[in-house]
Amino acid sequence: MPSPRIAITGLGFVGAVGAHVSALEAALDQERSGLGDLTLFDSELSREYPVGQYRGDLRADFARLVRPLSAREAGRLSRSDLLALVAAAEALQMAALPDMARRNAGVYLGQSVCGTLSSESYYLDCAAQAASHGRASPSHLDRLFVHDGANSGDAIAREFSMGGPMASLMTACSSGANALGLAAARIASGQAQVMLAGGADSLSRIAFLGFASLGVMSPEGPRPFDAARKGMCVGEGAGMLVLESEAHARARQARVLAWLTGYGHSCDAHHLTAPHPEGLGAQAAMKQALADAGLAPSDIGFVSAHGTGTLDNDKVEALAIARVFSTRAVPVSSTKRYFGHTLAASGAIKAVLCVLALQRRRLWPNLGLQKAQDDSLDLVTQARPAPRLQHVLSNSFGFGGNNAALVFTAGDRP
Amino acid sequence: MSAVVTGIGVVSALGSGAEAFKAAMQQGVNACAMHEFERMGGAKAIAPAYRAVAPDAKGLIDPRKLRRMDRLIRMAAVSARQALNMAGLQPERGDVHASRLGVVFGTAYGAIGTTQEFIDSWLKNGQRHASPLAFMSSVHGILASQVALDIGATGVNLTLSQRDVSFEAALSSALSQLECGRADAILVGGADELTGLLHEFASHFRYVESGPTAGCDPWSGEGRAIPGDGGAVLLLEREGGPRRALARVEQARVARHDTGREMLDDLNLAGVDLVTSCRGGSRRAFTLENGRSRVLAKRLAAPELSHRGNFGNFPTAGALQAVVNVLMLQGQVFAPMAAGRQRQDLVAGCRLPRRILHDAASVTGLHGAYVLSAV
Repeated sequence: MPSPRIAITGLGFVGAVGAHVSALEAALDQERSGLGDLTLFDSELSREYPVGQYRGDLRADFARLVRPLSAREAGRLSRSDLLALVAAAEALQMAALPDMARRNAGVYLGQSVCGTLSSESYYLDCAAQAASHGRASPSHLDRLFVHDGANSGDAIAREFSMGGPMASLMTACSSGANALGLAAARIASGQAQVMLAGGADSLSRIAFLGFASLGVMSPEGPRPFDAARKGMCVGEGAGMLVLESEAHARARQARVLAWLTGYGHSCDAHHLTAPHPEGLGAQAAMKQALADAGLAPSDIGFVSAHGTGTLDNDKVEALAIARVFSTRAVPVSSTKRYFGHTLAASGAIKAVLCVLALQRRRLWPNLGLQKAQDDSLDLVTQARPAPRLQHVLSNSFGFGGNNAALVFTAGDRP
Repeated sequence: MSAVVTGIGVVSALGSGAEAFKAAMQQGVNACAMHEFERMGGAKAIAPAYRAVAPDAKGLIDPRKLRRMDRLIRMAAVSARQALNMAGLQPERGDVHASRLGVVFGTAYGAIGTTQEFIDSWLKNGQRHASPLAFMSSVHGILASQVALDIGATGVNLTLSQRDVSFEAALSSALSQLECGRADAILVGGADELTGLLHEFASHFRYVESGPTAGCDPWSGEGRAIPGDGGAVLLLEREGGPRRALARVEQARVARHDTGREMLDDLNLAGVDLVTSCRGGSRRAFTLENGRSRVLAKRLAAPELSHRGNFGNFPTAGALQAVVNVLMLQGQVFAPMAAGRQRQDLVAGCRLPRRILHDAASVTGLHGAYVLSAV
């Protein structure tokens, strides 16, 4: 992938701290967490575990950015679709692509929850009918249509008339990072000049109750890498990035926000949910990403950790980072307390954050940290300037031991 | 760069294993049968479907591992093992380094049966006692991960969900990964399972024939689309390796319909002598499929076949069609079934194909295509 270089020319974000990249920056600068009570749907556990829920009106956001959606159009879109559309609209506006370039651009989107907030409601309605009347008369069966992962990417491509390569990546919580890495590969192979890539996932009962069933949720929210951490917190959101070949970006004199210079990917093949105890897969992904970027560990100035706040993830990730980087020379931080674990969107939102870090030469703290789990990492405890920051690495890990690492390199100065 | 297929595996209504599948295709078996489905609310419905047989895992997968796999995963994992066996590639023996062996799967609905199981677990036992096993097995991406876990593959691991072109999207990604040197061998497949919920869904949208068992009729346009399920896998390797190549995959692409024509223009279609499509017979898709087929037929002057009348219509049936295509390039043309009878007229005068274009479309606006050629 190093040649041709992949330029990042647009960013979009939605999450618990607000919509738009400016909201993300503000939350990071103010060290403000967006976690709070779950109000999106009823659950007997909603008061027990905070979530990273987006509190705004996605239809209104989209109307402000693009156009109003009719009730019929909106009815066909899941919450994940709307999150993806809003972030995509912002990224495309920022990139200001010429019409022709946008029409030939592809869409690679990472998803995991997809439209299950809609499809599960269909199932639950039927179950409730069956319980009270002994039979179900299904209505609004089209809510099932959004269960698969193709809907959000398709909605983006349709809305913005994008006709290039398409893919919906479903690798659980590493989906967004994999979508970015694979989209970059499409450009590198010459199959596309421009790709819109990222991840989007909404909250759903399945995700919320699923993580609760695993016993990995924390009633006090995540405290990544803290000795007293009790678990993670589910969130929702979307991160989208416009990627272009260097030649394409330069030819249209686009400002390069950063470069996507390396991608590594591996599978633990160890357990359905638990990471390999020595983090072998995580190490392999990081090493691959560094090799892909043609960099040594010592070149990396910051690691944006997956850092979910669960006992297993943080222990193994710290071990893997320490093994790859050998020394405590690299600052590490997790964003999970800002907006929760946004699942498939997580890797893409972290990519947006990495670009901001490179643009502003600034590192934001690992919120929630009081006492580090051990002394193996240089955890960022308060915001710090990083005037020489040139390359950063971002980790994303998913169920099934799916590991992805991305390397970003500083672009044009603001 | 092109890749070669060195092994195939399949679990379908036509049987478990490539040999059973091939024999059934040769005999023109129509695997449609009446099955009982549980509708929402518990009512039972008897309806025609092409439900895959139970995967024959004997000698392929450790029974302890098998117990932890749901039906969808079993179809995928058994197909993957069959493909490895056919190629004579044993990961455990170190025939390929674990980090250079990848798994890429397409699925539209993933483990939807297990997802229902998970919801049922909290409805039955309360939200505090939902089943963690059902949750972790319900995630779409677990499909490729479980296959990797079974064979110990630590390389590229992707699951793609692209509705009716999910397999074609997986193939395109796998090819791209081989091309950029991230793997030496990749198991690429597609799998979907048919549940009562999905059958009801398909019936609602009139994808399903409501009459007696007769089988899909991909050429009728009268709503004779009968759902099915199954899984199939191709083992892809770089050309020039030690194992016998069965076919060559030259190119694979996925894009939206409005650029489908341009996408086909990008492919080198010289010498294509057969087109296979995703015709399933649904009313909704018929116009689209027919329109595309006419364009292709005119352009390539090649016959068009779809074998969904043999093994049913489902989002990743393209994976089974890919197995058919590999077998056809190996030396036989299979007359497709339509409405329960063999359409010999469609293959009359057909020569053995040397280059096959597969063209798949989804009613939601996606388009996938690949070119497969004889070695």
